[in-house]
Amino acid sequence: MLRRLRAWGPGLLLISPSLIALAVFVYGFLGWNIRVSLSSWRGLLPAHDFVGLANYTALASDPRFMQYDVPNIAIFTVVFVAGSLVVGFVLALLLDRAEFGQHALRSLYLFPMAISFIATAIIWRWLMDNGGGESTTGLNKLLVDAGLGSLRSDWFKSSSRWAIAAIALPAGWSLSGYVMSLFLAGMRGVPEELREAARVDGASEPRVFWHVVRPMLLPVLMSAVVILAHISLKTFDLFYAMDQKNIKIDTPALYMWFTTFDGGFYARGAAIAALLLLGVATVIVPYIWYSVRAERVK
Amino acid sequence: MTAAPARGHGRIRSPWAPYTTTARYLALFALACLFILPVYALLVTALKLPAEVSVVRMWQWPHELSLDNFRIVWPKLRDGFGNSVAMALPASALSSLLGAANGFVLSKWRFPGADFAFALILFGMFIPYQAVLIPMFQTMSASGLRGGLSGLIMVHVIYGLPITTLIFRSYFAGISDELIEAARVDGAGMLRTFAFVALPIAPPAFAVAMIWQFTSAWNDFLFGVLLTNKDRWPITVALNNIAGSQAVPFNEAMASALLACLPTLAVYVVLGRFFLRGLMAGALKG
Amino acid sequence: MTTPAAPPPPGPPGSPRRPAAGIRLDKVGKRFRGGVDAVRDLDLAIEPGEFIVLVGPSGCGKSTVLRMIAGLEEVSSGRIFLGDADVTNELPQRRDVAMVFQSYALYPRMTVKKNMAFGLRMRGVGRAERDQRVAAVARTLGLDHLLERRPAALSGGQRQRVAMGRAIVREPRVFLMDEPLSNLDAKLRVTVRAQLTLLHQRLGVTTVYVTHDQVEAMTLGQRVAVLRDGLLQQFASPRALFRAPVNLFVAAFIGSPAMNFVAATLAGGRVSFAGHSVALPADSPLAAADRPVILGVRPTAFGPAGTGGWPEFAVTPAVIEELGDERYVLFDLDAPRVDTDATRAALDARSSDDALLLPDQARARFTARLPADLAIAIGDQLTVSVDPRRLYFFDPDSGAALS
Repeated sequence: MLRRLRAWGPGLLLISPSLIALAVFVYGFLGWNIRVSLSSWRGLLPAHDFVGLANYTALASDPRFMQYDVPNIAIFTVVFVAGSLVVGFVLALLLDRAEFGQHALRSLYLFPMAISFIATAIIWRWLMDNGGGESTTGLNKLLVDAGLGSLRSDWFKSSSRWAIAAIALPAGWSLSGYVMSLFLAGMRGVPEELREAARVDGASEPRVFWHVVRPMLLPVLMSAVVILAHISLKTFDLFYAMDQKNIKIDTPALYMWFTTFDGGFYARGAAIAALLLLGVATVIVPYIWYSVRAERVK
Repeated sequence: MTAAPARGHGRIRSPWAPYTTTARYLALFALACLFILPVYALLVTALKLPAEVSVVRMWQWPHELSLDNFRIVWPKLRDGFGNSVAMALPASALSSLLGAANGFVLSKWRFPGADFAFALILFGMFIPYQAVLIPMFQTMSASGLRGGLSGLIMVHVIYGLPITTLIFRSYFAGISDELIEAARVDGAGMLRTFAFVALPIAPPAFAVAMIWQFTSAWNDFLFGVLLTNKDRWPITVALNNIAGSQAVPFNEAMASALLACLPTLAVYVVLGRFFLRGLMAGALKG
Repeated sequence: MTTPAAPPPPGPPGSPRRPAAGIRLDKVGKRFRGGVDAVRDLDLAIEPGEFIVLVGPSGCGKSTVLRMIAGLEEVSSGRIFLGDADVTNELPQRRDVAMVFQSYALYPRMTVKKNMAFGLRMRGVGRAERDQRVAAVARTLGLDHLLERRPAALSGGQRQRVAMGRAIVREPRVFLMDEPLSNLDAKLRVTVRAQLTLLHQRLGVTTVYVTHDQVEAMTLGQRVAVLRDGLLQQFASPRALFRAPVNLFVAAFIGSPAMNFVAATLAGGRVSFAGHSVALPADSPLAAADRPVILGVRPTAFGPAGTGGWPEFAVTPAVIEELGDERYVLFDLDAPRVDTDATRAALDARSSDDALLLPDQARARFTARLPADLAIAIGDQLTVSVDPRRLYFFDPDSGAALS
């Protein structure tokens, strides 16, 4: 017993500061947040009472939350994830067999990931400006100048239900390169011999891709969906810097921020945050469990 | 098909090859233009004379290149820039070092529940930060760490631990076990093995972790805006403040955005391959 | 989308639908980026229906040749003909060859049945016929109970059979096999080898088989092409390779147990080596030669003293290996071990099954196969005889066989 302790004692010791820090700052805080969500804290002084799920039921009938936040985040997630997947996949497809310039092009499609969402928002806010007539600018100006004036849009300032989908544009711009990298790695993971066997079997290049490569991309697709979906739920900076006061494109993350730090409704904010956690956990926990287990099997 | 003796090195080309290649590169070029569009707008505006900036002519190349806009916005950004440097560098260094230790232990020094511990650490990478914001606010305010940079650094270090641990764990997993065993036979305990065997071979992983963490800390907004006072704002917060309101002229907004991005872009351009590896590490190709 | 070859006339499953095709390589060369010549000036004419083996040490270019025939590597110079057609620039999809890869290359997400049907499907064969042909081949190979499994759920031997089945079901004009047995354990290897021969007899498809194992080459091939450093050394039947090797490399590489070598001199109708002298047969073409040579003798060319008129000389056994009906006697000669590029390459390339070779010696060590009932003891003097008609002579510089 003592020998075993001596064997793994030092290891445990070395990682214990991290473990403790994470235990507090992740799990401790998560629990604390839930605790706050079960209280009635409003205003400067924390309340330590217990009101059960009252905050959650209140959210269920909260017009801002139910009419704007929930549908918006759903729309945004779908458009953003689908859009990034498509663009990223197409990029990977094009680059996989490209003979020269691969490295440079990859870097190009990937670079938006290196800049902060604030800067991204500042640029795209201008690009998606919805001024009209003399003050047409941004993408609208390009469209009008190119004779495609009918495609002109109010983007995220539109009064349509789908206004928030416009924000999927800067978000997709930032993250499509990531999806592309994932798919490229997946495609590279297919042994060349498999493709060669398919060629000898008579499959043309498109058919080689469809029958041999594509089925092996499923794990990559799953990874991409999970990661993009969780980013979508978490996104705050982008919305904050693009148009924070526009309730039509409100999201749970924004609502949480404003209701907590502007309005002082800490308990409500905590409840929204807890729901966000729930949403993220539903996709992430199975994903982590599956990955770690698959790794162990190897 | 009449055959001239071939003289190639690679694969036999199909007769469609010239067409598919052309189409491919046309598509790639078109997409590249689309991707660069925002950057073009950014550059073109930032480099224009303030007087020349106009909504109507936004897409046109400047008549005269000028750095005036930068001169105007730099004083407003300078403090934020300095704060970000003072915050991101230590944060990335520290979280990389700790990540190296964690990654080493979790990959090479087996103990029961190591995988479970790893899963627990990993989850920390994915949580929505909203779910820890209120407790963090309370803790940081109560401990006096809110307002200055040290609290922000600490937060970045801690929340950076999962990804740096992941990066190092993958890296050390690829190192032969025998290296460790040889050290053990030579009488080195775990700490010494870590310091004298693992660390010396870890620089590539350090590059990946530090670059990833630096970028992540530099680009962060949420923790920055929550945990610092005005004099300690990192650049993202300063940027949002300057360029965030609608009233600010485009040229200043673009110039400040450009300045704010320069360090991470420079790192990306020069050390991009490490950036990519950090990216891939986070994908958990299980 | 490639169009499949013209639909073949129907025939009973298991028999080739088309006449087998010959293969001709005409001055084929392959140069890789960086200037490495993997294959040089190769001329090879393979008869329709023949089973030929490409053998040689790793890096000799045999796999490259196979891949060029398949169309997976572009030819740098020369032409390749399948049947009468020049296929040098033809895509692999259109060549109607089937290949068994060393790693089997089974499609991981498809069932065994789908794996085997894939080639047929790509060529537009209808589902009913596909199923029928796959079922027939699966039955022959004992795979019918595995049809719905995925490759990951199969053993190595089963996977190998699926790879073979995938090639067979296509009824191609040519089979190409790239070391298909090297991942199997020794026992399985022997079994499958025999099955391959039977299969070839039944199907009669032209087969090009690549291996590094000379034993496999000799047992499987109707003719064997020995390659070294991208150059063809000899292309002949196993018997001809064994009895009339064209150079030192082939002589050292082919045949089990390996040939013995020692430096010698030809003079006055006799060959002298290591203090011994043996008379050549009077009608030997080298009877009048007067030059240094490398002498090669197979262990099986030795006999006990007194064997029908064979010259004899005295040796001291160093090691005796008893194998029941026969024994191998190893003795040292008072001469340095023959160590040329050719012999070294051949030695490296031989499988470790040839444990009779002890290469770390300074002196030449010979192996002789002698009857088991002879009274021999280590250290005692022993007289052995050698068949003068089975002595081989090689030029010490070029390694070419002298005749």
